Amino acid sequence: MTDRASFMAAVASTPRGHDPGLPDRAAAPDAPTELRAGESPLDRFQTEAEAVSTIVERVDAAGAASAVAAALEAAGAGAVAIAADLGDLLEPVREACRSAGLQVDDYADVAPERARAAALDATVTGCLAAVAATGSIVTTGATGRAAALIAPTHVCVVRADQVVDGLHALVDGDVLAAAGSMFALQSGPSRSADIEKTLILGVHGPGRVHVLLVV
Amino acid sequence: MSATTPREDAEVGGRPLPPGWAAPAHQPGADSLADTTFEERARENLARPFQRTAIANATDHTVFALQRRFAGTAHDALRDEARRIRAHAITNLPTYLEQWVDRAEARGTQVHFAADEAEARRIVAGLCAERGVGRVVKSKSMASEEVSLNSALEGAGIDVVETDLGEFVVQAMGDRPSHVIAPILHRTQGEVHELFSAMAGEDLPDDPEALTGFAREGLRHAFLTADAGISGGNFLIAETGEVAMVTNEGNGRLTTSLPRIHIALVGIEKMLPRRTDLAVLLPLLTGHGTGQQITTYVSVLGGPRGAGEPDGPEEMHVVLLDGGRSALLGGEFEEALHCIRCGACQNVCPVYRQVGGHAYGWVYGGPIGAVLTPLFRGQADGGELSHATTLCGACDDICPVRIPLHDLLLGLRRRRVAEDVAPLSERLAFRAWGLAWRHPATYRASTAVARAGLAVLARDGVVSRRVPGLARWTATRDLVLGRRR
Ligand code: SF4
Repeated sequence: MTDRASFMAAVASTPRGHDPGLPDRAAAPDAPTELRAGESPLDRFQTEAEAVSTIVERVDAAGAASAVAAALEAAGAGAVAIAADLGDLLEPVREACRSAGLQVDDYADVAPERARAAALDATVTGCLAAVAATGSIVTTGATGRAAALIAPTHVCVVRADQVVDGLHALVDGDVLAAAGSMFALQSGPSRSADIEKTLILGVHGPGRVHVLLVV
Repeated sequence: MSATTPREDAEVGGRPLPPGWAAPAHQPGADSLADTTFEERARENLARPFQRTAIANATDHTVFALQRRFAGTAHDALRDEARRIRAHAITNLPTYLEQWVDRAEARGTQVHFAADEAEARRIVAGLCAERGVGRVVKSKSMASEEVSLNSALEGAGIDVVETDLGEFVVQAMGDRPSHVIAPILHRTQGEVHELFSAMAGEDLPDDPEALTGFAREGLRHAFLTADAGISGGNFLIAETGEVAMVTNEGNGRLTTSLPRIHIALVGIEKMLPRRTDLAVLLPLLTGHGTGQQITTYVSVLGGPRGAGEPDGPEEMHVVLLDGGRSALLGGEFEEALHCIRCGACQNVCPVYRQVGGHAYGWVYGGPIGAVLTPLFRGQADGGELSHATTLCGACDDICPVRIPLHDLLLGLRRRRVAEDVAPLSERLAFRAWGLAWRHPATYRASTAVARAGLAVLARDGVVSRRVPGLARWTATRDLVLGRRR
């Protein structure tokens, strides 16, 4: 069995090549995953998210909970789990779903039973952040790794102040400190083009992703 | 909660597995190199007209998408920066590896060290045996192909289910992936339909949506009953001890979320110094890999389920694979370690586009396969692959981290001649290349002329078998010209 010391010794025993040094993170060149000068982050988020088949709807804070219930009904959902990261919206969303006749559970209660989690029609979560330039939402281990993934429909509530400009702003920012054991960028429904390059949505993750952008 | 050993229900989605599904007839990464030559494998693959059209269509699509994606951005500057980050990470690999291991362990990840392929197999099989793992779900991992992990696990009586749609088909057919990004590029919808219908025991509708639905249902069952998830990793982040992984289907996310154990098998060269480097490397990996802005899922995994988290694996293990990598550090071929496995060099390679990934005989195809195979598997096995190229330079042009594949291939040819394993004709031909090589301007002119000459000789982009100097190469294949930007 190779231990750490002998493994590292093999790596360290070779001569060093030329080290060009690390580029300064502040001087990053323009990339497709960054916001362009003068662009509105919310507009770019919507454009990019829609380009990868996310449904994006702008709502105001007062209408957010009922918009969630409407999004679930539009997806034909019956059994729904809601995640704790909805914060202030948790109670209003629960209420709105109940009055819409949906069966609502907390994701944390459902998650330990894999089979039950897999039988959900939809999940509703908040997010840690959203990335304008890529149309991504950021989900975390703290909220639940599979919370935005396990059901055919995912409804995500994004507050306008959670939208960061681009990938750099996300990975350099402090926001990830609250991620827990992992974070993930999710950009639209699950997709595959393995069979003769035909694009299919909803392979393993949700086939329907509905973002409610609270402005 | 089902943590039982589901051996007895050797079925997926309530359906019995077809013969050969649980134990693929043809093990990926096995000894096919030793048994056949590139020429034989190329001949075999050229006899499949669908494959050639499919590869051309798919790779063209990806290359155009890539060009559109970076239009109007500082693409070249981004690539320069990426090259610098990769070069810095690789020249300082000992430091960053130590740092990564410290930080990963501090976050509760258990780190294991595999000096070679056999050790990687032993470690993963051992982890599974100790923990009573009966079924494993896997998300696509080239490192696991490198070490032939599936056959080792199956030999130990473990049910292994590939969950990437393409890899699932590959496994069920007893086949091997033919492209790093698109594993069943060489298979038709009809073949998938036939396979899935046989598995279902009924004639499924012959459309991609229904076929995908069939696989999804069966694979969901596998996810729910698996004890361990095995993944690869696209990047290791030294600063944080994290593993970053990109997928589109979401199987990678489920593999690392649902089973109680997560094992990632990752080559040591995947190192990035900082999290911020993801902002440079990710758009290049996904843009050059598929033409996407970003893949649907990017997971950055920093340990097992944390206190108070509602789900996630109880244990996270990372098996660091050397497997011939450390031997390249500081040497002539070190830059091969900069590769981020985007597959773009395959897409533009006129040889790959004709013969497909299987002709390369091992895990990696195309220019990077022609470089890595002899370096990881030895000259005797893979050395001839350095001749499975036209040296047209299309791969250099498209590589997101600017690996001089063309120089590496020439270096491998030189080495093959020096080690005296090449046939005489090859050694003589090489001398001419060598002369030109001493005068780079002459050399570049000669390849430019060769390309222009080919363009003249080509009809409909296909070069016939009459091209002077290419006789040996073109004897078994027509040559489609590489697309240059
Ligand atoms: S060598 Fe370059 S182009 Fe080829 S797979 Fe690696 S990173 Fe991509």
